[in-house]
Amino acid sequence: MSVVNPELRATDPPDHRVGLLTERLRDQFGDQILCEQATLTGMPVFWVSRRALVEVLTVLRQLPEPFEMLFDLSAIDERLRSRRHGLPETDFTVFYQLLSVSGNRDVMLKVALSERDLSLPTVIPVYRNANWYEREVWDMFGIRFEGHPNLSRILMPPTWKGHPLRKDHHARATEVDPYSMTVESQETEQQALQFRPEDWGMQRQSDDTEFMFLNLGPNHPSAHGAFRIVLQLDGEEVIDCVPDIGYHHRGAEKMAERQSWHSFIPYTDRIDYVGGVMNNLPYVLAVEKLAGIKVTARIQTVRVMMSELFRITSHLLFLGTYLQDLGAMSPVFYAFTDRQKGYEVIEAITGFRMHPAWFRIGGLMQDLPKGWDRLVQGFVDWMPARLDEYERAMMDNSLVRDRTKHIAAFDTANALAWGVTGPNLRATGCNFDLRKQRPYSGYENFDFEVPLGNNGDVFDRGQLRIEEMRQSVKILQQCVNHMPEGDYKADHPLTTPPPRERMLEHIETLITHFLQVSWGPVLPANESLQMIEATKGINSYYLTSDGSTMSYRTRIRTPSFPHLQQIPELMRGGFVPDLIAHLGSIDFVMADVDR
Amino acid sequence: MTYTLTRVEDALAAENARYPLGERQRVEDPMQQQVHRSVFTGKLEEVLNSTVNWGRKHSLWPYNFGLSCCYVEMTTAFTSPHDIARFGAEVIRASPRQADFMVIAGTCFMKMAPIIQQLYDQMLEPKWVISMGSCANSGGMYDIYSVVQGVDKFLPVDVYVAGCPPRPEAFLQGLQLLQDSIQEERRPLSWVVGDQGVYRAEMPSQREKHRDRRIQVTELRTPDGI
Repeated sequence: MSVVNPELRATDPPDHRVGLLTERLRDQFGDQILCEQATLTGMPVFWVSRRALVEVLTVLRQLPEPFEMLFDLSAIDERLRSRRHGLPETDFTVFYQLLSVSGNRDVMLKVALSERDLSLPTVIPVYRNANWYEREVWDMFGIRFEGHPNLSRILMPPTWKGHPLRKDHHARATEVDPYSMTVESQETEQQALQFRPEDWGMQRQSDDTEFMFLNLGPNHPSAHGAFRIVLQLDGEEVIDCVPDIGYHHRGAEKMAERQSWHSFIPYTDRIDYVGGVMNNLPYVLAVEKLAGIKVTARIQTVRVMMSELFRITSHLLFLGTYLQDLGAMSPVFYAFTDRQKGYEVIEAITGFRMHPAWFRIGGLMQDLPKGWDRLVQGFVDWMPARLDEYERAMMDNSLVRDRTKHIAAFDTANALAWGVTGPNLRATGCNFDLRKQRPYSGYENFDFEVPLGNNGDVFDRGQLRIEEMRQSVKILQQCVNHMPEGDYKADHPLTTPPPRERMLEHIETLITHFLQVSWGPVLPANESLQMIEATKGINSYYLTSDGSTMSYRTRIRTPSFPHLQQIPELMRGGFVPDLIAHLGSIDFVMADVDR
Repeated sequence: MTYTLTRVEDALAAENARYPLGERQRVEDPMQQQVHRSVFTGKLEEVLNSTVNWGRKHSLWPYNFGLSCCYVEMTTAFTSPHDIARFGAEVIRASPRQADFMVIAGTCFMKMAPIIQQLYDQMLEPKWVISMGSCANSGGMYDIYSVVQGVDKFLPVDVYVAGCPPRPEAFLQGLQLLQDSIQEERRPLSWVVGDQGVYRAEMPSQREKHRDRRIQVTELRTPDGI
């Protein structure tokens, strides 16, 4: 076992702007800024008083290099946390993570709340995408947001009792009575899900027409899984709509609080379930930051290669379903044939298709098998011609163009205000790709371009992903040509599982190996965060360790959640077929929304 | 062969009835009794039954229903490389009223369970359920507050497909097992013929069937080659 270091290590890269920002906030708000917390998150973390919160956010939003995006908002139940020296007294902490695209930096604000008074002012007037995040915090922690227009449950059923992410809420389904459903309870649950327009400030009729309310989902062929959206219609025209999520909530964040650091890896695969090992990456990188592990160039390159393979299979799935939603039947058959080719490579290397859980803390599950380069090269040779064909047959098709050009278009400012990231953000012409802006896992060594769109419409979102696949193929080719030699596990005491040869030296190494495999590694108490450019946008893991074998709190920020929140603003005044086209172009899976 | 019998009238919902609806009882093959009654009608029913079952099992229309990751593998089974049309099950229906079977492909969430039940109720008899993947089979790796620990807590399941997610080939095997079981079924040939019960064959467990062959394996392929 490694020795737990109780001292918090400060973030290393010195950024003079952080000092300026601290000075600025201290000058203006004085002792309302309670303290600055040293973490491994790579960004300044300020504790602010509840009174000053909205003002501080407003100032940060209006800086010369403004924090345009509310990247994440969630909470931590701190009642059982023991290692938090020098931080303000708190039972529940709500954190606001802001992202500045213009300044390429982040900041986090934390607010301490006492158990007896769990309420905060809403920040929707400053960041409108706070709406769903605040509902989620209410649902999961029971913290009220004063002034919120409709503070109702978002992930759990409306009939649910309790707040699942509180430490005193049960985690396992088997801790309580087994689930059963009666004819009566089924009816009650269905009634509770009924949509009441008045709750959302909607009119049932206008002066000259009575609106129709159409319930689309939670099971609809073009809703891509268990997603429900209620439309207020005047004929074919969408007057307003209300997305309803939570039909796919698997409690991944609660799960992280009872799995060891190592055994949580398979759960990450199933967050964005078409992203495979790409999901492991932000998690293992964040854990490696906590543990202080530096991995070899080979590990970095293999991770990049597998992630890009999964980016291609994910984008192929997108392309097939996107065109199918527009009414084209054949593309999905072509796209899935190519996915199969991709999976042949993935399976030969990792041993599984969709969820290999192949990355490890401090390395990989195993080294690349003999002959991997031949397989990857085969895939790299196969794809470009297919991509050209798709572009010619699908994106040059006049019907597709008519259906998608200038539909559900939004500009960069709107995207940032809603927290839109990834290809959907780049389709508006905003050049923000973490692989370039904040290279991780050795992306700085690769030669590739970041494709951009112009109009931010349904067409650009489709076209851009074809282009992204070309760039990923280019990265794969570089991996084949320049795969570095080296170990597939980092030489570090917290590498999990530890190399087996080390176990065979004497009884001490055997015991250490046994403990690390059975209990799992003990990570130093600290907080770390890692963002990556995942298939659908920016995915980040914010880990809080209390110096134990399990995470104290794991916050998973997924890109699809804000993408769905943006729908109503785009669709007002559009037509139902435009909505379907837009749903197809967002590229979301419900596990990436509800987690 | 022994059968599980569900009577039609039992499946009508009473207030406070608990899902899955209907009493199930284990019985002997009703055909045996028929044979004792009369040799000729017994033979005729057997021919009719197997003809109808043959038709049913080769034109199963799946309901387009998916919950999570397993649905992607299920869709993969529908596309060219795996081509489910080989088994006559490619006519995906978007409406439960037109579908013959429903694949619970993914995690069964407590928020989703009442909706799944309603969709199942909207399907017309004869109807079947395939539970695809560990989550639908038993909750799998998600023993968590929001997940029902197996869809069979409220739906009658015909075939369980193991895996997380199962490969498309495993799903296709599950479909063939369903076909085998449909071939053995005894359903009323008309509303005036015979006993109005649905007799489902108790099919042999695949695990037991293959155990002997599987434990023969002594050497596994090393993972360092392709």
